[in-house]
Amino acid sequence: MIVVDFRLSQGSFTLDIRVRLDRPITALFGPSGAGKTTVLDAIAGLRTPLAGAIAIGGRSLFDSDAGINLPPHHRHVGYVAQDVALFPHMSVRRNVLYGRREGQKLLLSTVANMLEIETLLDRNVPQLSGGERQRVALARALMSAPEVLLLDEPLAAVDVERRRRILPYLERVRDELRVPIVYVTHDRGEASQLADEVVVLAAGRIVEREGPQPDASGNGDAA
Amino acid sequence: MRGMQIWEITSFTIATAAFATLLMLPPGLLLAWLLARGRFHGRLLVDTAVSLPLVMPPVATGLVLLFLVAPRGPLGRLLTEAGVDIVFTWKAVVLAMAVMGLPLFVRTVRAGIEQVDRRYEAAAATLGAGPLRVFFTVTLPLSRPAVLAGAVLGFARALGEFGATVMIAGSIPGSTRTLAVAIYSFAETGRDTDAALLVGVSAAIAFVALALANWISSRPGVRA
Amino acid sequence: MRWIAVAVVVFTVAFAPVAGQEPLTVSAAISLTNALEAIAAAYAEAGGGPIRFNFAGSNVLARQLVNGAPADLFVSADAAQMDVVAQAGVIEPGSRVDLLGNRLAVIARGGAASAPIRRLEDLLRPEVKRIALGDPSAVPAGVYAREYLKAAGVWAPLESKVVPVANVRAALTVVENGSADAAIVYETDAALSTGATTAFIVSGPHAPRIIYPAAMVARSRQPEAARRFLSFLRGSAASAIFRRFGFTPLATTP
Repeated sequence: MIVVDFRLSQGSFTLDIRVRLDRPITALFGPSGAGKTTVLDAIAGLRTPLAGAIAIGGRSLFDSDAGINLPPHHRHVGYVAQDVALFPHMSVRRNVLYGRREGQKLLLSTVANMLEIETLLDRNVPQLSGGERQRVALARALMSAPEVLLLDEPLAAVDVERRRRILPYLERVRDELRVPIVYVTHDRGEASQLADEVVVLAAGRIVEREGPQPDASGNGDAA
Repeated sequence: MRGMQIWEITSFTIATAAFATLLMLPPGLLLAWLLARGRFHGRLLVDTAVSLPLVMPPVATGLVLLFLVAPRGPLGRLLTEAGVDIVFTWKAVVLAMAVMGLPLFVRTVRAGIEQVDRRYEAAAATLGAGPLRVFFTVTLPLSRPAVLAGAVLGFARALGEFGATVMIAGSIPGSTRTLAVAIYSFAETGRDTDAALLVGVSAAIAFVALALANWISSRPGVRA
Repeated sequence: MRWIAVAVVVFTVAFAPVAGQEPLTVSAAISLTNALEAIAAAYAEAGGGPIRFNFAGSNVLARQLVNGAPADLFVSADAAQMDVVAQAGVIEPGSRVDLLGNRLAVIARGGAASAPIRRLEDLLRPEVKRIALGDPSAVPAGVYAREYLKAAGVWAPLESKVVPVANVRAALTVVENGSADAAIVYETDAALSTGATTAFIVSGPHAPRIIYPAAMVARSRQPEAARRFLSFLRGSAASAIFRRFGFTPLATTP
């Protein structure tokens, strides 16, 4: 369960978000400039809200009343930004292993297998295609064993044909690793297709929530 | 002046300048990082203080250093108690060189760090890397060309340093005479041929250093 | 356009030498600073013209003169540097005169914790780590000092402690700020020092003979004024001032 409740000043308007996310995959949908990326940034700790509270699974990440503001590296949040940001000076393998902690159970082989990037591990970042970068970035975020995965327009840079091929990977992540996913998109179709719930954002506020019933397809609470 | 003496003066100068450059690295990297990424009160003050040796006349900086580390000075007193002698020794030469080269190093590295896309640093942070780890594994490698360029600049400045050096290290044959100081001393005492020889050596070193710097910056770096 | 013309005229007038008011330029050894400034004041009071001094180590002054620096009079701290300029044809040969004598003094840091320095041999002690001299390769004070130490047979053991500095006043400074433990300067400089104590005056058989020659510069544009000031330097008023500072006038005219 992800509790997001904060106010944040964003240019010409204020972001005022109050929502609880408890589905395996939640899509955050809205037009450009609505503040979607900022919501992810706030959850990840890259932006600090003016006031409010953010918690994941009961663990408080931010609480303006209690004076809590965990820095990003303590939040255990996996984040794949829109431009992916793979480290250009490292090989794919080093990129993916960057967030791995000593003694954690999740293995490289598991994630590499799941996202089918075994053959890419020894390549260098500039040699990858757009789709390959997405999968590697996903693998990297997963290898840090996060409690939630934040994806910012993961399919935006990928052409329509390949999009269909990436969706299964996201489904695998949801099913096999059971990490809750929050992902941002401005494509309505994509949002409905993959997500269990769609949260609609407009001008800094949540205006709508829609989604199938909780136990319709057997996808239980993964959070 | 025999070849041996020229060699001694030259190797002493290069060795002290190299040591001074190494000495510049830790505080220089820290300051560059703080100024590029830090947000704290007094940042402008730090920036100005670091740039002072660049703008003040070198002899003025030398005088300030002398005040600080002469046996009667605030720092000098502590050093004397610890049995450490700075003024009129090779340590003073290294100190003067490091102080004069540091601002150039910091400026260059700072510019390099500012060029590093913060999104890489943000990604590293979300992956669990604390600020120090982010700096050493992401920021620094991605600003490596700037660090190298800064080091070369600092080294070149150290090689040619005169004003502050002569203030706190003097011109002692065999122990504190750098190329620049020796040229001045020889010129002042009428040893024109010797001075001219050393000018030639300085020019040769400068040439090599510049060629090296150009070669470094022309190498394909990492596109960040 | 007109303003530029006015500015040019104003600048030219401002910087043009006004006849009869141009100061005499005297290049003199730095050890003479205080004495000569007092004498210049006396000269002005006696109706003489303004004097402008250029104080530095005599070797530096000699090089400047040889390279064409404008001056009217040169007072050196040793004959060697005067010979340098004489050989280059810079001075008026008939005007050269040995003006002053001086003595060397050994000074040490005031209030030193260890036993005070009283004799030459005390300089050999291990706690005396650095001895400042004007650069013994050319600065007169340093040349005299080395001559003295060699004659006394202690140059070899002391050479490694020597810190050559630009001139005799610099030697004074480094002892005063503690960077050197002792220095060999002129007796006249030691007398002026506030932070260092005079250990002893150099006298006896090894003491060097210190002579300050003075001469008119051949290319001077004010030979008459230069001659007048040189005469004043040899006169009784100036000699009294020199003596007050510790110099020995050698060419006093009655």
